[in-house]
Amino acid sequence: MITITQQRDKCIGCNYCVEAAPGRWRMSKRDGRSVLIDGKNRRGFWTVKVGNEEGAANEKAAALCPVKIIKLKDL
Amino acid sequence: MPTKKIELMSPAGDFESLQAAIQAGADSVYFGVEQLNMRARATMNFSMANLAEIAERCRKNNVRSYLTLNTIVYDHDLSLMKAVIREAQKAGITAVIAADQAVIAFARSCGMEVHISTQLNITNLETVRFYSLFADVMVLSRELSLGQVKAICDGIRKENITGPSGNLVAIEVFAHGALCMAVSGKCYLSLHTHNSSANRGACVQNCRRKYKVTDLEEGHELEIDNEYIMSPKDLCTINFLDELIETGVSVLKIEGRGKGPDYVKTITSCYRQAVDDYFNGTYTREKAQSWMKQMEQVFNRGFWGGYFTGQLPGEWNDTHGSKATTKKIYIGKGHHYYPKIKIAEFKIEAYPLNAGDRVMITGKHTGVVETTVSSLHVNDEGAKETAVKGDLCAFPLDIPVHTSDKLYKIVDVKEEQTT
Repeated sequence: MITITQQRDKCIGCNYCVEAAPGRWRMSKRDGRSVLIDGKNRRGFWTVKVGNEEGAANEKAAALCPVKIIKLKDL
Repeated sequence: MPTKKIELMSPAGDFESLQAAIQAGADSVYFGVEQLNMRARATMNFSMANLAEIAERCRKNNVRSYLTLNTIVYDHDLSLMKAVIREAQKAGITAVIAADQAVIAFARSCGMEVHISTQLNITNLETVRFYSLFADVMVLSRELSLGQVKAICDGIRKENITGPSGNLVAIEVFAHGALCMAVSGKCYLSLHTHNSSANRGACVQNCRRKYKVTDLEEGHELEIDNEYIMSPKDLCTINFLDELIETGVSVLKIEGRGKGPDYVKTITSCYRQAVDDYFNGTYTREKAQSWMKQMEQVFNRGFWGGYFTGQLPGEWNDTHGSKATTKKIYIGKGHHYYPKIKIAEFKIEAYPLNAGDRVMITGKHTGVVETTVSSLHVNDEGAKETAVKGDLCAFPLDIPVHTSDKLYKIVDVKEEQTT
């Protein structure tokens, strides 16, 4: 299992996470920032637990993020 | 000599800078909200919820307020862009500074005044004519000479090019602040190396670093001698402001939404005096030299006249970061103000404060206030020479302080290096 965390209020809406891991990220049409699909919000940090099979794509999303707000943690 | 008034426009990255700009005599301010502006990375961007307060503070002080909405815009941004414009209009923001056609078209459809951003790189009269269908004010590209700026301003008058308001199109130019190696900010370097697009306001400023040139055939590494070859010095026009005003421009813009309130106050004050002196007939190049000395005290990369004066490109910076001759050191925060006796009390949280120190107080309501600590009262121990971390200290100050205010000591950089 992996935990993915996003500090959403710092997102600049560049769309790279969606390009890298479209199954886990989408762009909000409401505020133009990316949404961590199934993520739960705790004080501005959105978190979701996912299977290892999503690791590679989300590592790419984290690496591509220009404002470095996506973090992955192995459980 | 032109008789029409020149508008001086200052950057406002947060409420402290907004207040500093107002105090220093700006005629207008520009600022960004949320992520759709060219300083998206700045932690101090305003949010939509701040629009009403910004508009109100500006209105009270008779200062025009401009919202920058000038990044490239994707489909997923359209809804936010529209919400921001609607909110700005509701709040009474004067105009939107736009670059993307979607933003220009939507703002116009709402009846909101539009200014064309420098991101559209206007460099000729025909482009001015084209955008005059949508905008009354246009920022020219920073890569034009004084002669080219004058030709555009003359052309607008001669050919009677008017904007949607029916008035002649007003030309705005950058008078002071950071220059960029790219044509008016349209840079790919940060995106290429850090996946961080300058055109989405996320520039990592890697052009400001030192680089080596490597000969790939034989592996020789050449360090370009003491020059940051992609980092130009800052634009400064105060020493030829008369010539710049005489081109016929209407608005002088100061760059620096990412810079501190002390920068905004100092730069705005100097240009305010220079513009006023020009119209009083008392502007001199000698005065300009003393304003430049003052401006060297706050963030700068060294000054040059940009492309206005037709100097050859090559005015590169020779250091990393700022060349400011003074530095501010955080001391503590506001604690209480005794209005009758005009004494301000501060809690020391970091470095010691001495009687005689030159200090600066900044805050959302205070803006920027500079003074010298004439006498220092520490805790309940009466007058003392020094207050240290943990102490409550008080000194005379004409302006009320707030608990959100920060106290800094201003020191000369040379002095600081030797201590």
